[in-house]
This record gives sequence, structure tokens and C-alpha cells, in this order.
Amino acid sequence: MNIKLTSLFKKDWFGLLIVVLISIFIIATIKPTFLSPFNLYVLMVSTSYMLIIALAQMIIIAIGQMNLSVGAIGGLVAISFSGLMEVYQISVPMAVLMGLLIGVGCGFLNGYITVKSGISAFIITLATLYIFKGINLGVTEAEPFYNIPETVKNFGNAKVGNTPIPFLIVIPIVITFLMWIFMNRTETGRHMLAYGNSIQSAELLGISSSKVVISAHVISGLLAAIAGMLVVCRLQLGTPNIGDSWLLPSFAAPVIGGAILAGGKVDVIATALGVLIVAIISQALVIFKIDPFFVQIFLGLMILLAVFVNRYREYKQEVSRKIFNIE
Amino acid sequence: MRGKKNPFPLSLWPAKNIMKTLMNKKIPNFIFTNQFGLLCLVLVFIAIFSTVTDGFTSRFNIFALSRVIAIDIMIGLAMMVVILTGGLNLALGAIGVSAAMFGGWCMEIMGIPVIPSIILTLSMGAFLGWVNGIITVKTGVHSFIVTLATMSIYFGFMTMLTEAEAFRRLPELFTDFGSAKLFNKYVSPLLLLSVATCFILFYLFRFTDIGRKLIAAGANPEAAELSGISVSTMFIHCHVLSGLLGALAAIMLTTRIGAAIPSMAGQLGMDWLLPAFLAPVIGGTLLSGGKLSVFGTMLGAVLVTLLTNGLYLLDVGEFWIRFFLGIILLFAVLLDKAREYFTLKSVIVS
Amino acid sequence: MNELCLEINSANKSFPGVKALDQANFKLKKGSIHALLGENGAGKSTLIKIITGVHKQDSGLLLINGKEKILNTPNDATKFGISVVHQERNLIRRFSVGENLMLNNLPKTALGLIDYDKIAIQSKKWLEIMDLDIDPNTTVSELTVAKMQLCEIAKALSLKAEILLLDEPTSSLSPQESENLFSLLRKIVRDEGVSIVFVSHKLEEVFNICDEVTVLRDGKNACTSESINNLDRKKLVKLMIGREEQIVKSDRKSDDNKDAILTLTNIKTELGHKDIQLELNRAEIIGLYGLVGAGRTELVKCLIGLEKITAGSVKINGKDVTIDSPKTALEKFKIGYISEDRKKEGLILIHNVLDNTSITIWSQIKRAIGLVTDKMIADKINPYISELEVKTPSIYQLISNLSGGNQQKISVAKWLAAGTDILIIDEPTVGIDIKTKAYLHKLIIELADKGTSIILISSDMPEMISLSDKIIVMKDFQIAGIVENDHSYDSVSAEIMEYIHK
Repeated sequence: MNIKLTSLFKKDWFGLLIVVLISIFIIATIKPTFLSPFNLYVLMVSTSYMLIIALAQMIIIAIGQMNLSVGAIGGLVAISFSGLMEVYQISVPMAVLMGLLIGVGCGFLNGYITVKSGISAFIITLATLYIFKGINLGVTEAEPFYNIPETVKNFGNAKVGNTPIPFLIVIPIVITFLMWIFMNRTETGRHMLAYGNSIQSAELLGISSSKVVISAHVISGLLAAIAGMLVVCRLQLGTPNIGDSWLLPSFAAPVIGGAILAGGKVDVIATALGVLIVAIISQALVIFKIDPFFVQIFLGLMILLAVFVNRYREYKQEVSRKIFNIE
Repeated sequence: MRGKKNPFPLSLWPAKNIMKTLMNKKIPNFIFTNQFGLLCLVLVFIAIFSTVTDGFTSRFNIFALSRVIAIDIMIGLAMMVVILTGGLNLALGAIGVSAAMFGGWCMEIMGIPVIPSIILTLSMGAFLGWVNGIITVKTGVHSFIVTLATMSIYFGFMTMLTEAEAFRRLPELFTDFGSAKLFNKYVSPLLLLSVATCFILFYLFRFTDIGRKLIAAGANPEAAELSGISVSTMFIHCHVLSGLLGALAAIMLTTRIGAAIPSMAGQLGMDWLLPAFLAPVIGGTLLSGGKLSVFGTMLGAVLVTLLTNGLYLLDVGEFWIRFFLGIILLFAVLLDKAREYFTLKSVIVS
Repeated sequence: MNELCLEINSANKSFPGVKALDQANFKLKKGSIHALLGENGAGKSTLIKIITGVHKQDSGLLLINGKEKILNTPNDATKFGISVVHQERNLIRRFSVGENLMLNNLPKTALGLIDYDKIAIQSKKWLEIMDLDIDPNTTVSELTVAKMQLCEIAKALSLKAEILLLDEPTSSLSPQESENLFSLLRKIVRDEGVSIVFVSHKLEEVFNICDEVTVLRDGKNACTSESINNLDRKKLVKLMIGREEQIVKSDRKSDDNKDAILTLTNIKTELGHKDIQLELNRAEIIGLYGLVGAGRTELVKCLIGLEKITAGSVKINGKDVTIDSPKTALEKFKIGYISEDRKKEGLILIHNVLDNTSITIWSQIKRAIGLVTDKMIADKINPYISELEVKTPSIYQLISNLSGGNQQKISVAKWLAAGTDILIIDEPTVGIDIKTKAYLHKLIIELADKGTSIILISSDMPEMISLSDKIIVMKDFQIAGIVENDHSYDSVSAEIMEYIHK
């Protein structure tokens, strides 16, 4: 029993879990309404798609790259999803499928160009950010799609039985679980982390770089697509500016969760907790009637803090390696 | 006989021979031939658009263009000096807007005269840039993440302090500059300001010791440090300069609009990112750092603005323009990569 | 009788401006440990890259077990049974040993998920062959470098390697770990049917473990598959450099007027140095000798302020000083450092000769408002460029277009232009052709004669003994001993070796 506890302590996300629990405790003590069913519902709704967005960025951070187009892909899929149903009367399942395909296609484009051109994914996705957003605007002409089928709207509002748990969050939880399995128990996932760790070592160990990079971007696009469609369910319409504000939070959560931007070190659970922390803080600021703009400042500060801490940890490891001449 | 390859693959230009003689005398750090190609492209597009569209060559259009180009050049230069370090300044728009709102506050609320207010604005920009630089250098974290964070911090503070209200009653002396017309009403003085800045920066990077040090530090920080250059100081200088130029761009934008508006650069200042990147990259500044082109950036900004304007006049639909710009960025970086490849291609295997 | 498991016939390979291999041959017999030797620039690394599938030869055949094969990628080489263990470690540090060993062929459960139990079982087998008593679940970052390397060899075996190429395998190992490695190598040759290509610059090791030798020189074979019994060190060196090792006996007279320009007392550094004492006299050349990992480069990097000195005193001309950066070292104390890694630390490859040579002097020559023109620079540096006989079409030539020797000359020229009192030179002639090497040696002696005090770091014993007035031997970040140099190779090298192997 003791051994299990200490190994629990060592987990990356343990500290985060403590932070989450403590903050919930403090906030709930000061303002008990924080734990009201309504508030919990709102909290979970906003966490739901943020979680998927964070995972979409996390998998790219895992391979040591960045995906600036997560928001643009999400937005494009969002309007495609709603547009297909409104304009072409396509059935919901079909529209979902097509939305997913668009996400996969966008992700594939990102990954393929990155691999073939050898240019950093940061720049490629900066360009595709504008390309996808451009298509989005070109198609919608900045007008939202209002006529969403009732089933979709209901899904966005539905709760699980009598609890305050929204149906909306079930999908992200399942996805988080799947992502955990992917990163920790599948060959491709391990290959991605190996690649993120050291491209040279990974290739020498027989891993195919192109397979790793393209798969990661495809999954990222797929996840962004899911998030986009979830937002449509929640908002009950498809607006062109869905995804515009995703960039910052998509980085914040993984980084707070201990991700090293150089690659090779990400943690699904820690990322999820990072999302939770950001959501809790944002929610708390609203409850305490603090200026909503403060959220932005806070987010920025949290990122800086998280990066410092991660950097410091890596630095300490490096120094001890230097001294003991391990390598 | 060591392999001496022509590092520049764009061999479609008529003046290739001139290029060769010039290159045999000098291969400066500025990618000369690339600028020439850009100039050609600019002239070509001017020719195309003048004939194909209505109103491209109208006095109204050219004046409007001159103002947009002026600001885009400045934004491009501001990003260029950070790209030189091998980094990025995502907070550029946020710095610009924050500085401009600060200036607006000085002029409208505090009643500070125009010139001192401008100086204060520039100082604010330089300060915010300095913060970026210090954090980047002291923590060793990549400037992308640092400026991603400071982008929201600066913008957030600015929005909070101004309560998202614009300053619309700025001194006439200030706003008149933005609507002033020169050269028979064709050109805005803003454009002259930008071009003058280009010349100053060109002098800085080409003919001063500190400019050379900045370039060396960006090209190979380890080698530069060992050669007696304080790379951290150089990088901080670059960020300060970036903030300063960003503030200047925002001042120019404010005079053009006639008011200091918090949303002048979009949400979090992100509207500036595309022109900020496109201009230097098209212009030949290497994203990996260590090589830049001031006049290339200038021409890049001109080209992008021209294209945007031309497409707009061709009724392409403002909504598709962003799409085209993304495509251009993609091609620009692919070209950048090809350029880098050819520059290093003749490395001797040891 | 002994078939060839790997054969390279008449391989030619050229790169822009240089012919790296000229009708080169390599024949590896089954069950042998075959040394591949050659100075840097001899074509050794190109041949290695062809064997491991990184490059493809322009012409010539590659045969594995008598059959011609074409290797397009390193993966092809691995498929055909060729594995390589590089100088730097190539394991994923955050993963476990077992996972690393099986990374490209992870055993899976019925659901397609990784079966960690099977990983432990299957990897144990390979670990045992290498006498590694490690739990496969150990994270790689917790291992010593020596053990990591053995894991990499275990990995190669698990990939059914028949041909194992080891590139400078003992560069980060202690003598004991090296001996352990050698006995394991003999074991796997004997028991697992592996044949080894052994690449090393340490001739003692070659005589210890190899049975055949191939030497490359200037892209051609100086000898092919020569039995080790027919060779001694002298013959081997002659094959590698084409002449007898020449110890340049300098005319430098030992000066009784010793005037200490730099004194290190009881120095401790944050990198782990302890009890460092060093006294450099004016116009003296001190050599720092040691194996890789001895801490010499690290020490001088602390000296010039790149890393921290945590205890002890540094005196320049008798006065206590603190050097906090290379900038201070140069501007205040006129100390320069010629780095051992000229491509990464010594030069800016994407810039030209003019900018590289003048990087140290811009502050010095600037006029009002910081003005520094190309002409001002050219006037200052042209004398040095011609003095060093740098071969370049113009000073605007990109550094990357120069040959290794000329690049090295530029990395020296920039410090000559700066005018230093103390010059630290780190491995000046690695990868340099013979002629430039001799030239640089002459130059170093000339510099000292003219008054520059020099600290010379070199792993090249003859070079060290030629040039130094006194040799400090370093081991494990401490000073192992000091040898006064009378330039007689046999006695001095013996004394040095004594300190190294104590």
C-alpha cells in the first residue's frame, strides 16, 4: 500500500491534482454557490470542448511541434457541419462524418506539407491558419448558420439523467481516456513520444518520421473537428468566429500540465487537469465579479509560470547530469 | 577548386549577368538578388492591376495604399528584427495597441502635448519589448511562448485600464498628420516616414558595429558569445527595437484612423501577425535567424498590400483575400526553405 | 576459407568540390573484428555512412554475404543485418530499457495494445547476452553512459545484426568500462556470429582487440585488410599520415625569466572540477592533455566566463580577476578562445569571410555613431588573411564554401586580428589536412615567440609534444600530473600515459 502511494506522489499530475482540489476547496468555502448544480454544469460545459482542444495541441507538442491552426480547423468544421445541414439538408450523422473528414483532411495537409517541405510546423500551420480561416470566411461571408436541426440543439442542452452533468462532456471524457491509452499503450503513441524526444534516436531505432508526424497532425485535426462540432451543439448555431480564441488555451493547458515544448514529454491526465485549473479560475473570476479581461492576463501569467517551472526542472536535471558526467 | 555555386535559384530574371558581376564583387548579408526579383514582381503587378482594374491608379486609391503600405512596412520591420534572433514576437500587435492607447491617454486625458506624448508612446513600446526580451533571455524559453503569454497579458491590462473605450478626441495636430497629402495628393507622409525608417535600419545593420553584432548573435549565438559578443544583450536590444517599431506603427495607424481604438489591431493584436510575417519572409529574412533584408521587407510589404488591394478591386471578395494571403505565406516559406538550402548546399563534407 | 560478410569494392563518392572516396575497398571477414582507421578527412566517415545506408556510393559495389545490395536508407542497412552504435547515445532517455530495445517491434496484446510484460521477458534475453543485470523497466536516464552503450549493442543484436559498426566506442568510457566492453565484444563475435567494424583513433585499442586493419588516406586505401600481426604503431601511423610521425623540435629556449601572466589556484567549478592549479607564463605554451571527458574544454570554458567558477582564484598578471563572460575575457583581459567545434562554435557558416574574421574587432575599429564599413574591416583583416595564406576567391565568399583547413585558418585569423595576450586553442588540427596542420603548428610557435601566451588543448600526442613547453595531464576533471617537456617523444609520452592510466 505504501509503495503505491509513493509512486502516486511521483506522478507528474499529482501536484496539479492537489492544486485543483485546494482551489475548489478555497473557492467553495468563500462562495458556496461555486458548487451549485448550475455552476457545475456551466463549468463542465466550458471544460468539455476545451479539453479536446488542449489534447489536439498536446499531441503536436508531444512530437516537438506546434499547431497554430487548431482554431481555424475547428471553425472550418463548425461552419461546414452547420452549413451542410442547413443548406444541403444533410442528415446529422452524415454531417458529423463529413465534419470529421474535413478535420482529418486539414490535419493531413498540415502534416504532409510539414514532412515533405522540412519547414517547421509552426510556420506551415500559421499559413494554413489563414488558409482555413479564409475558406471559412469565404464560404460564410461572415454570416452564421442559424438553422441547426433540433436533435443537435437538444444534444447541446441535454443532461445525464437528473445530474448536472451535461451530455456534452461525455464525449471529451471518452476521448481523454482514449488519448491516454493511445499515448501510453499503443505503438504509434510511443513512437510519437520517442520522436519528440530525439528525432535522430527515433530514426535510428527504426521509427518512420513521416508516419509519426502525419499521424499526429491527422489526430490533431480530427480532435479540432470534434471540438468545433461540439461548440456548434452548445451555441446552437455555426458562427465563423468559432475557434478564433482557441490558440492561447490550447497551449496553456498542456504547458500547465507539464509539457515540454521541445517534445517528448506530455501527459494526458496532467493536460486534463490543466484544462480544469484554467476553467476553475475563469469561473471563479466570474463569480467574484472580477473583470473578465483579467482572465486573459491570468492565462498569460499562468503560461509563463508553468514554462518557468518546467524549464527550471529540466535545468536542474541537466546540471546534475553535467556534474555526474552521466551524459 | 572549391565548388562555388550560385546560391540563388531564381534564375528567370533578365538581369542575371548584372547579378553575376555584382555577386563576384560582393555577396553581402543582404540577399540582394531577391530584392531585385521582388521589385520586378511589384512592377509587374502594378502593371497588371493598372490595366485590368478600375481605380487602381486613381489618386484616391494610391493615397489610401500609401498609408496602408506605410504601416505594413513598419509592422514588417518590427517583426523582422525579432526574426533576426531566430525568434518571433507574437505580442507585436498587443504592444502596438497598448502603447498607442497609452499615448492616446496621455494626449486626451492628461493633456500632454503631441511630441512628448509620442515619445512616451515609443518608450512604452520599447519597455514592453524589453520585458519580452528579458524574459526570453533570462529563462531561455523560446520567444514564441513568451510572447504568446505576454500578448494576452499586455492586451488584458490594456483592455482593463481603458475599459475598452477609445480615445476619439485627439489633438488635431496629431490627426492631421495622418490625413496629410503630399506630392499632388498622391502620397501620405506616413510612407516617407516608413521609408526613412528603412534607411535608418539599413544603416544600422550594414554600417554599425552594433548592427553587425545583432546579426552575428542571431546567426550563431554560440559562436557570437565565444567571440566576445554579449548575445543576451543583443537579443534584448532586438526585442526593444521591435517594441519601439511596433509602437511607431500603432502611432501611424492612430493618426490614420484619427482615434486610438483598442481593437485597431484585432483581438489580442493578432490582425498584425500576417503582414508582420509575410513582409520579412517574402523579403528574404531567414526564419532561422542571422540573415535579414531591410529593403526586402519593405518590398515584401508593398507586394502584399498591392496584391490585397488589387484583388479587392477585382471583386475577389474581401473574404477570400485572407485565403490568398495564407497561400502566399505558404509559398513564401517554401521559397525561404529553398533559399536556405541553396545557400548551404555547397558545404564541404568533412 | 573465411568468407566475407561485407565487401565494398572500388567505391567512389564525391561531394561538391571534394572527392571523398577514390576506388576505396573494404573487406570484412566473418567472425573478425576489423579496424577502420584514417585521419579525419581521409574518407573514413564517408565510408561509414555508405555502410550504414546514410549515403549511396557514386559507383562501386556493396556486397553482403557475397550478394550485391543497394542501401537507400539506414533502415535498409538494418534490414540487411548492419547495425551501428554511434559515438553519441541514441536511446530515448525517458523510456525504459525494455521499451527502447523493442521500440520498433513492440509486442502487443490481442487488443493491439503494448504488452509490457512481454517486453520485459523478451528484452531480458538480449540484456543477458551483454552481461547486463538490469531490470528492463529501468528508465534509461538512470543508467551510466557505459551501460547505455551496452544496451545499444544489445538492441543491435536483437535486430539480428550480423555486422556491427562501432564508431569511437570508448570515447566516453573509463578504462575499466572499455575492458568490459572489449571482453563482451569478443564474446558476441564468438557466440553470436557477429562481425565487427571497429572505428577508433586510439591505436592502443586497435592493437588490443582487432585482428585486421584497413587504413584510408585521402580517400584511397593505404592498406586493406592487413593482419594486425604485421603492424606496429609506427607502421600504422605511417600508413595513416603517409610519413613517419614528425616531432617538430622547436628552437624555443626555456626561459628562466618566468613571468606568470595567468595563475589558477584551487579552482573548483560548477561542472565538477576540483583542485585545479595552473600557471601560465608569458610567451609560454602549456599543453592540456587528456582523454575525451577529462574536463579540459570545460575548464577553459569556465576560465573565459562561459560557465561558473565556484571556488579558488584567477589571477592575471598577479591581480585577482573575475571573468564573467567571453566578452569580458576579450575586452578587459585580451583572452581569446579558438573552439574545438569550429562549425558550431567557431564560425558563422552562413556569413562570409569578412564578417567572420572581423567579429572580434568591430567594437575596436568603429568610428563616430558606430560606423564600421566593409572597407575599414578589409583594411584591418586583409593582412591576416594573406599572412595565413587563406585560399578564398574573395573576402565575400561564404565560409561554408571554404575547405576545412581554410575554415580553421579563419577561426584563427579572427583572434589574431583581435590581438590577444592569452590565446586558448582547443584541438586546432582535428579534421585538417596535413599541410595546413604543419602550417598551424608553425604559427602557434611563432605566436608564442612573439609574446602570446598559449594554452593548447589537444588529444594528438605528437602535436602536444611538439609544441608545448610543459604538459598538464587532466583526468576526470582534475589534474593528474604535470610533465616538463624536453620534446623527446618516447619518454614524455610514456610519462603522460603513466598519469592517464594510473
